[in-house]
Amino acid sequence: MQKKQAAAIIVALGLTAGGLAGCADQTAGGDSSTTGADTLTYMFRGSEDEKAAYQAAIDQFTADTGVTVDVIVTDADQYATKLQAAIAGNQVPDVFYVEQGSLQSYVNSGVLMDITDKVEELDVDLSNIWQYGVDSYRYDGTLQGTPDGRLYGLPKDVGPFAMGYNKTMLEAAGIPLPDQDKPYTWDEWTSVMKQLTKDTDSDGAIDQWGTGLNVSWNIQGLAWSNGADWTNADKTEVTVDTPEMAQALQYIADMTNIDKVTPSSSEAATLDTYQRWMAGDIGFFPIGPWDVSTYNKLDFDYDLMPFPAGSTGKPATWIGSLGIGVSQTTGNPDAAVKLAAYLSSDADCMKQLVAAGIQIPSLLDQAETYAADTAAKPANKQEFLDIVEDYGRAMPAAYTYSPAWYDEFFTNIQPVLDGTQTAADYLKEVQPRMQDLLDQANADAKEAAGGQ
Amino acid sequence: MTTATKSRVQPRRHSQLYRSENRWALLFVAAPVMGFLLFTAYPLCFALYASLTNWNGLGRMKFIGVSNYIGLLGNANFHKALLNTLFYMIGIPIGLILSLLLAMAMNRKIRGRTILRTVYYIPVISSLAAIAILWQWAYNGDFGLVNQALDLIGIQGPNWLQSTTWAKPGIIIMAVWKGLGYSMLLYLAAIQSVPKSLYEAATLDGASGSRQFTAITIPMVQPVTFFLIVTNIIGGAQIFTEINIMTPTGGPELSTASAVWLIWREAFRYQKMGSATAMAIVLGLIVMIVTLIQFRLNRNSSFVLD
Repeated sequence: MQKKQAAAIIVALGLTAGGLAGCADQTAGGDSSTTGADTLTYMFRGSEDEKAAYQAAIDQFTADTGVTVDVIVTDADQYATKLQAAIAGNQVPDVFYVEQGSLQSYVNSGVLMDITDKVEELDVDLSNIWQYGVDSYRYDGTLQGTPDGRLYGLPKDVGPFAMGYNKTMLEAAGIPLPDQDKPYTWDEWTSVMKQLTKDTDSDGAIDQWGTGLNVSWNIQGLAWSNGADWTNADKTEVTVDTPEMAQALQYIADMTNIDKVTPSSSEAATLDTYQRWMAGDIGFFPIGPWDVSTYNKLDFDYDLMPFPAGSTGKPATWIGSLGIGVSQTTGNPDAAVKLAAYLSSDADCMKQLVAAGIQIPSLLDQAETYAADTAAKPANKQEFLDIVEDYGRAMPAAYTYSPAWYDEFFTNIQPVLDGTQTAADYLKEVQPRMQDLLDQANADAKEAAGGQ
Repeated sequence: MTTATKSRVQPRRHSQLYRSENRWALLFVAAPVMGFLLFTAYPLCFALYASLTNWNGLGRMKFIGVSNYIGLLGNANFHKALLNTLFYMIGIPIGLILSLLLAMAMNRKIRGRTILRTVYYIPVISSLAAIAILWQWAYNGDFGLVNQALDLIGIQGPNWLQSTTWAKPGIIIMAVWKGLGYSMLLYLAAIQSVPKSLYEAATLDGASGSRQFTAITIPMVQPVTFFLIVTNIIGGAQIFTEINIMTPTGGPELSTASAVWLIWREAFRYQKMGSATAMAIVLGLIVMIVTLIQFRLNRNSSFVLD
C-alpha cells in the first residue's frame, strides 16, 4: 500500500514537473504571441477619440505595408497592470506604449529592444522630431533622457500642459485677455480670478469661479516658476522643504481657503472642476493637446496663455510623453520597428493624428503650419510649441526608477489644501519620507542596471 | 470452464481487477494532488522565495534575506492599510445580525416573501464592479442618492468618499448591503431545519418568543454563524475591487486603502514585487492565525444536541 502511495506521488510529481518544463520551454522559446511573419500585435491606451485616430492610422499602415496589426486597446488606468500581466505571462505585444517612468526597468529586464540601429536603417530623421521626445526614450544604462543614450522607443507624442482660459467668460466680464507673451504674476492672476468669482444668477450661491486646480497636475508649473524643484539635478536629494516650494503649495491652498476663487473642496469633489470648466463655470483651466478634440465641441470659446509665473518671472509647466517601444522577443523586429517609426514620425500619419485633435505634431516641419492655422481652436496653438521648445520640463518622477517617492508628496497633502496645516510644516514633515523612498529607487536602479 | 480452472484463475483475475482499479484510483488521486502542487504548493513556495528577494516582477531576483520583512516593520502605509482592513471587518457582525433578523422575517408567512427574498439576493449575483460604480454615484456629496435620502429626513450627509472619516464607513455599508442576501439565505435554510419539536416543547414549558430565539434558534444556527464568520473574515481580508473602483488613489490620505490594494500598488505601480509579496505573506499569516483561533474557540463552545 505504501508503495502505491509513493507511486501516486511520483506520478503526480512527474506530471507537475512536465507541466513546469512546458512553461520553461515557452520562456526559452521566446515570444509566444500569435505573431506570424506579417502580423504584429500593438497594445496602447487612450480616449475614444484617440482609439479611433490610431485605428485609422494603423489601417493605413496595413494598406501600405501588407502587415496586419492586431490591436489591443485598454483604458488609461488599466494599461500598466495589463501590460505587466502580459509581460509576466510571456505574451509581450510586439509594439506597445511605454511610459517614461517604466523605461529603465523594462530595458534592464530585457523587455524592450534597443532600436537605435534599426531606426537608423529606416532613415528616420530624428532631428525632425522634438528632441525632448526622442531623448525621453534614450538610456545609457545609468541615466535616462540623455542625448547619448541608446534608443529604446520613439515618442508617440509630446504633451505640453498649457494654461487655458474661457475667452467668452473673460470678455463678458470686461477683463482684458491675457498677454500671449508676458505671463501673469501670481498677484495679477489672483486679482483677475477674484473678479470672475461671483454669483451670476443672484440666487445667493457662487456659481462662477476663477479656477479649480488639481494639485497633482498643477503644483509643478507653479513650483518651478517660483524657483523650487523636487530633487537636485542628479535626482539623489529630495529638495521640497524650501520656502519657494512652500510658497507655491500655499498659493494653491490659499486659492480655495483665503482668496476663495475656486469651488470649495467639497464642491470640487462632488462635481470635479474639469466638469465645471466644460460647463463654462470656470475661468482658467489647464489644457493638454489631448483635450483639444473634446474642448472644441464646447459652447464657449477658449484659448491658451503662458502659465502664471512665480518669483522667477518665467513661466513653467510639464511636458508629458508616451513612447512607442518594441518587444525584445518580437518574431518580426523589422516590421515592428517600422510600425513604431510610422506612428511616431510618418508625415501623413502625423497629419491625420493632429487633425483628429488628440496631439500636437511631433515633427518640427509640421509644427509651424500647425501653429500658423489660427482659424482652428485654440487660436494660440503657438503656446503648446513654446512649452516644448522653451519652458516645459519632464515630470519630477519621469526618469526615476519608481514613482513611489513622488507619490508620497501627495498622499497626505489634503490637510494643507483644507487649510488645517501650513505648506511649510507639511513639506518639512514629508521630505525625509520622500528621501527614503528615492534612496530605495536609486538603489534598485543601480541594482537592476548592474544585473544586466 | 471447469471449476478447477476457475479456481486457478480466480485469484489472478481478482488481482488484475484490483490492480486496474488501483490504477484508476491513482489517476483520480493524482488530479487534485497535481492541481494542488501546481497551483497552490508551487506558487506558495515561489512566493516565499520571492518575498526574500529584491525583484521588480520582470528581471533578475536578488536574494536579500528578510530585508523586505524588516522594511515592513517601519512601513507606516502598510500598517495603515492593515488597520483599514481590520476596520472593514466591523461590517461582519453588523451583516450577520441584519441577515439573521431578515432570515427570521423571511421565514414568516408574509405576503410577497418570494419577491423579497429575490430582491435581497440580487446584489449577491450582480457584478461587484458594476455595484461599486453605482454606489460611487450614490455617495456623491451633492447629487448622490444617499445624501438626497438623508436630506429628506433633515440630515446633511457628508461627502462620503472624499472624507477621511466617512469613506470607510461608506464602503462598509456597501459591503454589508452586497453580502446580506447570501448570509440571509444560509440562515434561512438553517432556521428551517431546526426541529419544530424544540419550539413546541419550549412553548409548553412557557418559554417566551425571545427566550426561544436566544435558547433555541441562535444555538441551532451556530454552525452557519461560524461558517459565515470564517469565510467573511477571509474574504474581508482580501477586499480590493470596491476600493480600487470607488477610491482609485486609496482615498484621502490612504484612508480607504486595504492591505490588498496597497500590495497591488506596490507590485504593479512601483514594480516592487519582492516587498509586495512579503506584504502578501504577512497578510496571509494573519488570516491563518485568526482562522486557527476561530476554530479553537468554536471547538470550545460548540453546541451539542444530546
